[in-house]
Amino acid sequence: MVTYDSGANQPDTPQGRFTSRRLFAADHKTIGLRYLWLALFSVFLGMAMSLVMRIHLVWPGVHISFLPVLGSTPERYATLPLLHGSLMVFLVLTTAPQAGFGNYFLPLQIGAREMAFPTLNLFSFWATVVSLLGMTAAFLVAPQTGITLWIASVSVFCAAALCTAINFAVTTIDLRAQGMTLPRLPLTVWAWFINAILGMLIFSILLAACLCLLSDRFFSTHFFSAVDFLASQPASTAPDALPVLWQRLFWFFAQAEVYIAMLPCFGIVSHLIATFSRKPIWKERLVVLALCGVGLVGFCVWGQHMFSSGLSPFSPLVFSVLASSLGLPAAILLISWFGALWGARIQFNTSFLFALGFISLFLSGGLSGIFLARSDIASASVTEDFVTGHFHLIMGVAATFAILGGLFFWFPKLFGRRMNELLGKIHFWLTFAGVYCVFMTMHWLGLVSHSAKNPGASLTAAAGWIVPARSFITAGILITVLAQGIFLFNFLWSLFRGERVEECNPWRATTLEWSVASPPPQDDFGAHEPVVYRGAYEFGLHGVAEDFIPQDVAPDRVVKAN
Amino acid sequence: MPGTIAPPDIELIVENRRVGGGGGRPPDGGDGGDDDYGRRGRGESPSPRRFSTGIAIGMVSILMFFMALASAFLVLRHNSGVWVTVRLPWILWVNTAVLLGSSLILERARLRLSHRDVSGFRKLWMVTTVLGFLFVAGQLVAWRQLVTQGVYIASNQASSFFYIFTGAHGVHLLGGVAALLFVLLHNFEKSQVSVSLAAEITSYYWHFMDGLWIFLFVLLYLGK
Repeated sequence: MVTYDSGANQPDTPQGRFTSRRLFAADHKTIGLRYLWLALFSVFLGMAMSLVMRIHLVWPGVHISFLPVLGSTPERYATLPLLHGSLMVFLVLTTAPQAGFGNYFLPLQIGAREMAFPTLNLFSFWATVVSLLGMTAAFLVAPQTGITLWIASVSVFCAAALCTAINFAVTTIDLRAQGMTLPRLPLTVWAWFINAILGMLIFSILLAACLCLLSDRFFSTHFFSAVDFLASQPASTAPDALPVLWQRLFWFFAQAEVYIAMLPCFGIVSHLIATFSRKPIWKERLVVLALCGVGLVGFCVWGQHMFSSGLSPFSPLVFSVLASSLGLPAAILLISWFGALWGARIQFNTSFLFALGFISLFLSGGLSGIFLARSDIASASVTEDFVTGHFHLIMGVAATFAILGGLFFWFPKLFGRRMNELLGKIHFWLTFAGVYCVFMTMHWLGLVSHSAKNPGASLTAAAGWIVPARSFITAGILITVLAQGIFLFNFLWSLFRGERVEECNPWRATTLEWSVASPPPQDDFGAHEPVVYRGAYEFGLHGVAEDFIPQDVAPDRVVKAN
Repeated sequence: MPGTIAPPDIELIVENRRVGGGGGRPPDGGDGGDDDYGRRGRGESPSPRRFSTGIAIGMVSILMFFMALASAFLVLRHNSGVWVTVRLPWILWVNTAVLLGSSLILERARLRLSHRDVSGFRKLWMVTTVLGFLFVAGQLVAWRQLVTQGVYIASNQASSFFYIFTGAHGVHLLGGVAALLFVLLHNFEKSQVSVSLAAEITSYYWHFMDGLWIFLFVLLYLGK
C-alpha cells in the first residue's frame, strides 16, 4: 500500500478543536504513552481473569458476587483462558515493549523527531484500541458470535501490528540522525528493528489465517471445513490435513510471537545492565548478531509445536535442531550480561533488580524449554502444567520483568518524576518470589502427572501433594497479584507526587533521549539538530570527568578529568 | 531507473539530510519553513526516502500474506481426497494481458516524465489507470462466468481458493489504482514528495501487483 503521509499532526490553530486534537494527536510520544496506558489496563484485566480462573479451579464452591451477572455457564469459563491469553499476549507483551516504549523512545534514541509515518502510527494505535474492545466484548456475547468477534479483533490487531512494524523498520532505516551509524545504534533500537522485521513477516500470516477462518464462517468456504476433512480421511495418507493446516498457520505465527515478545526485552535488559553496571556491553556486535539469530531462528521453529500432530518423520529432527540452536544466541546474550556484571560497580536500584530478575526467569524458563525442544519428550505429551509453567515463566513473566525494569528506568524521562525506590523494591521481591512459587510448582505438577502415565510408576507419595500444590499455586498468585497493587499505587502516586527530576540525565546514561529535558519538549530536540559522535555504551572510561560520555558529545567537548 | 533527472518544472527532492546536518536547506524548495516538520523547529522534512523503504517493506508483508494463502492451497491440494477442479474462465487470460500492458504503459509514462514531457506523462498515466480499472472489471466478469457455471465460493475447496485469491489480490490492486489516481490528481507543488518520486513508488507497487497476479494465476492454473 502506498501511504502518502503528510505528517500532518500539529494543531492548526491554538483554538483548534480540543477533542480531535487530543484524540488524533499523531506525536510519537503521545502515541507511545497511550500504548503504555493501554497495556497497563490490559495487564490488570488479564490478571483479574487469571485470578478468577485459579479460584474456580481450586475452590469451585466459592461464589464471587459479580460473576453470575456474566452468566456462569461452562462456555463462560472456557472463554476466560482465551481472553486472559489474548489480552496478555497481544495487548501487553506485544504492545508494551515494542509499540509502547518503542514509539516513545525509538525516535528519541536515533535522533529523529517523529516516526516515519505519523498518521499510519495513529491508525495503528486506534486499531489496537478497537481490537482490545472487540476481544473484551467477545467475552460478553454469546459463544458463536464471540468467536467471530474475537477472530475479527485479532485480524484488526494484525493489521495494526503490521503498520507499526513497517513504521519502526522505516524509521530505523531512514530517519537516523547524522552520525548515527548502524554500529552506534543502542541495543534497544536494534531489538525494536529486528522485532519489526519479524513482526512484519508473521503478522501477515496470522492475518491470512484469520481471514480464511472468517470467510469459512461468513461465506461457508472450505479452508478448515470438517466435512472435507472427514471426506478426505480414507484416501489420504497424511492423517489429518485440515486441523494440521490451521495448526501450521497458527504456530507459524505463534512460536515466532514468543520472540516478538522477548526481543525488545532482550534489548531493554542489555541496555539497563550496561547503564547500571557502568560497563560497555561485552562484545556488542556479537550481541547484535545474537539478536538477529533469535529473530531468524525464531521465525523457523514453528514445527516444534506439532511433534504430536503427524509431520513427516524427518521434520521433528529439523525443528528439534533449530529449536535447540536457539540456545546459541541465548547463551551469547547471557554471557554478555554476565560479562557486564563481572566485577562491576553495580547500582542496585529497582530497575536493575528487574533486569536481574529477567535474567533469572529467562534462565529457568529457558532450561525447561530444552526439555520441550526434544521431539521425543514433547511428543510424549508432557502435560499441560509443565508447558504452562514453562511459557509463563519465560514469555509472560520474564517479559513483564523487562517491561517493569524499562518503566522504572524511563519513568523520569516520561513524566519528570522518579518512582519510589522502597515501594519498587518491595514490589520486586514479592513478585519475584510469587512467580517462582507459582510457575516452578506448575513445572513440578506437570512432571508428576506425566510420570503417572508410566506403567508401574509408584506415585502414592507424590499424589498426596498434588492438591496442596494446587492450592499453593493459587495462594502464590494471590500474593503476586496483591504485589501488583503496590506497583499500581507506586505508579500513580509517583505520577503526581514522585520526587521531581530536574536534570536531563538522572541515570548518567549515554543515549540521546537523556540529552533532552524530562519530560521531553514537544519538538524533542528543539532547535538543535542532534549529531552522534560515538557508540551507545561508552561507560567506565578513565581520564574523563565522569565515567561515561553521551553519544552526542563531540570529541573536542569531552571534559577531561582533573 | 528512469525518472531520476529533475525537470525544471517538477521539483525533485534530493537527499540532503545526512549531508546538511543542522544547516541543510529545506528540501522542498524554500517553503519548507512552514511545513509540518518545519514548525517543529527543524526547517526540513525527514528523508523522502522513507516512502520507498516503506513500500518495499510493505510489499514483503503483502507477499507473506499471499504466501500463507498459497501454502494453505498447496497443503490442501496435496492432502485433500475431495479436490474438485475449477475450470478457469477464459477472460483471465485477457485480464492478465491487460495488467501486463498497464505495467508497460506505466513505464512509458515514467520515461516521458524523465524527458520532461508532463502532458505525455499524464496521458499515459491515465491509460494505465483505466487499464487498472479494466482489470478489476475483468476479474468481476470472471466471477460472473464462474457463477453462471454454478461454481460459488462455498462450492468446494478449489473454488474457495479461487475467490479468495482473486478477491484478496483485487483489494490490494485497488490500493494501487488509488495510488495511480493520487499521482494523477494530487497537486505536488506544495507536497513533501515530487511527482517523479510518487510515480516511482507507485510503479514499484503496480509491478509488484502485476507479478503477484502472474504467480497466483500460475498457481491456480497448475493446481487445478
